[in-house]
Amino acid sequence: MDASGVNPRLLALIEEEKRKVIANEIIAKLTDTCWDKCITGSIGSSFSNSEVSCLSNCAARFAELKMHIMQQFQKR
Amino acid sequence: MDSFSSSSMSSSGSQQSTEAVMEQIKAQLAQAYAQEFMETLGTKCFAKCVTKPGTSLTGSESSCISRCVERYMEATGIVSRALFSQR
Repeated sequence: MDASGVNPRLLALIEEEKRKVIANEIIAKLTDTCWDKCITGSIGSSFSNSEVSCLSNCAARFAELKMHIMQQFQKR
Repeated sequence: MDSFSSSSMSSSGSQQSTEAVMEQIKAQLAQAYAQEFMETLGTKCFAKCVTKPGTSLTGSESSCISRCVERYMEATGIVSRALFSQR
């Protein structure tokens, strides 16, 4: 056991939780943006097919966009 | 934070205290997430459902808000699946 500081297993578990938080933040931000873009009419008891595809496309395009931007940025 | 490092030094109790600390951390993270989520729901559903605030919420405003909460949770799932099937 490491006597000089913190339990390394604990640190590893905490790192895993940090990754989950980051992933959840990305999803939350993206849902916020895509909701605004795609859910423009009134709220029903289910989504229309076009609303579902819009949300799905929005998320996928945004992920591509981020990739694009990163590649562009790294070229400079 | 003092009790945390001293309990990690006792070899017999360290497994248990790691679990206990993780439970606490997870509970606090879950609470923070829930609060942020509810903030967002409030903003989105107020915008969609309460267009002309009156002296109380009408029946149709209330049902709109319920549907909105359901739809937003569904939207979160759709976005989440779309993102994680990209990798």
